[in-house]
Amino acid sequence: MRIFLAGLRKMIGRPASFVSVGLLVGLLGLIIIASATVGQESDEPQGEAAARLLLTFPGAYDFILSFLFGLGGLVAVIYGAAIAGSEWTWGTLKNAVARGESRARYMLSTFAAIALMIAIGLAISFALGVLLALLGATIAGVSTSGLSDADHLARLPAMAARGWFAVVEQAALGFAIATLARSQLAGIGAGIAFYFGEGFASIFLPDIIQYMPFAVARASIDTEGSGGGFGGGGGVVEALPADTALLLVGVWLVGSLLVTLLFTERAEITG
Amino acid sequence: MTPSPSLALATRGLRKSYGPRRALDGLDLTVPSGVVYGFLGPNGAGKTTTMRLLTGLLHPDAGSIELLGRSFRRGDRRRLFEVGALIESPSFYPYLSGRQNLRVLAAAGAQVPRGRVEELLELVGLRERAKDKVSGYSLGMKQRLGIAGALLSDPRLLLLDEPANGLDPAGIVAMRETLRRLAAAGKTVFVSSHLLAEVRVLADVVGIIAAGRLVREGTLDSMLRDQGIVRVRVPRASEPDARALLEPVGRTDVAAGGTEDPWLAVHVDPHRAGEVNRLLAEAGIFASGLESGTDLEDLFLELTSGGDESGEGGFGRIASPGNGQGASA
Repeated sequence: MRIFLAGLRKMIGRPASFVSVGLLVGLLGLIIIASATVGQESDEPQGEAAARLLLTFPGAYDFILSFLFGLGGLVAVIYGAAIAGSEWTWGTLKNAVARGESRARYMLSTFAAIALMIAIGLAISFALGVLLALLGATIAGVSTSGLSDADHLARLPAMAARGWFAVVEQAALGFAIATLARSQLAGIGAGIAFYFGEGFASIFLPDIIQYMPFAVARASIDTEGSGGGFGGGGGVVEALPADTALLLVGVWLVGSLLVTLLFTERAEITG
Repeated sequence: MTPSPSLALATRGLRKSYGPRRALDGLDLTVPSGVVYGFLGPNGAGKTTTMRLLTGLLHPDAGSIELLGRSFRRGDRRRLFEVGALIESPSFYPYLSGRQNLRVLAAAGAQVPRGRVEELLELVGLRERAKDKVSGYSLGMKQRLGIAGALLSDPRLLLLDEPANGLDPAGIVAMRETLRRLAAAGKTVFVSSHLLAEVRVLADVVGIIAAGRLVREGTLDSMLRDQGIVRVRVPRASEPDARALLEPVGRTDVAAGGTEDPWLAVHVDPHRAGEVNRLLAEAGIFASGLESGTDLEDLFLELTSGGDESGEGGFGRIASPGNGQGASA
């Protein structure tokens, strides 16, 4: 518990945490403002209708979540890699091990703190996203009466939980990659390459890629078969059923953490 | 190895290789409790590798380690609860303050009493800058913070790797006093360094490592006594008599003289300089110069000059102008 709380303390003060949330909210805000502008007056009626649809509640909830869980996956890979990689790059893992701390417990507690930070970050981003969508709807003159749609609101917690789980799995992947790389920069680079590489590989190996970590993360949140969230290669691969994908997300999550723990336990810490 | 409670630290036949390069080649250390132990060696001799093995960061290929009277193997991490360490350069989260870094570090390993962080910030003179981010600290400040980190759990054994790095003279003196105080309180301080002068004023016992092996270990006094020297300048005409007189005291060589009166070098405990002078005076030989000293540097160079196996290379010696020799590298 002490390591977990210390991990939270470290992440709360870390610029990468603010930058990650800022990036998600900033991009979401840009899309919403652009949609509001197009939805207000456009030469193309089809474009105007599509833009207004994005800002219309309760559908706007789905759009915001889809954006956060899609792009959030890439941000999470980078975030997970940054946290794990910096432990090696800055030599702070060395400090903990030299104090007699269990390597496995240290890494697991640090990851648990990441998972909580992701939940907090997503919740903040979602709340700000809803506020921005309300602003966009007001600018575009779209009714906000669907904001309190009971059916939709009832489904939100389950959607949020699935999305959080998928994003955490992607953070675990970045965490594992950076641990294997024993470097912050190399971990981030390899994580991004893996994210886009999987999307690219889906063109040639769709039957295999559908079981890969980012594809299953997208499929697991796509409970209505809409093709998943934003980002890397969604839609090219025939998505697995959401519940099957969710199970595989768990497998990838556990696998990534096991790799991290085994490697850290056996590693010779020289940095 | 039979564990010995009077020893704070002992290693037997410790071996460690990085690929084909052997960093430690059967290291045998014996560190008594309650002393400051100076672990001396040139760059690449294996000092930091030894420190990493002692803190469980690396695992030995062979040999054994005993920490605080009990054997220390892979998985015995709790033994480190009574050990504080600063290995290589101090490592911190640059975006956190000094105080936050110590609090985060205190969460790992042994429980740290409430108030200990503030106590240590005061001890290392960082109280005023405790709120500042570590990224803005100088190397010396980071080093102080690293020493504070090593002292967090009030360890019985303190392992410090080049602790004087980056410290200003006042900081070095303060650190030295702190370490001496800790040793006086019964704790053991193991300091690795390549700074002979620092070890000389700080350590009670010295171990010299070269090419992964311990080449000399003992109290500094005995080591320096063996290596001590008294130089005395006598009139040229009295040189043979003086030499015959001093030979029984210690091996006596004639040092450089040229056209001037020669210097005799007596290999003897420097504390016996007065006795040397008295002997000469009683024989009617009056010295025009007298120097005494201990040459840890000579001893160090003698013991560690068996070739640089680190692959790091070394500085060449530039010959004095006019002696007809070029630089050797």
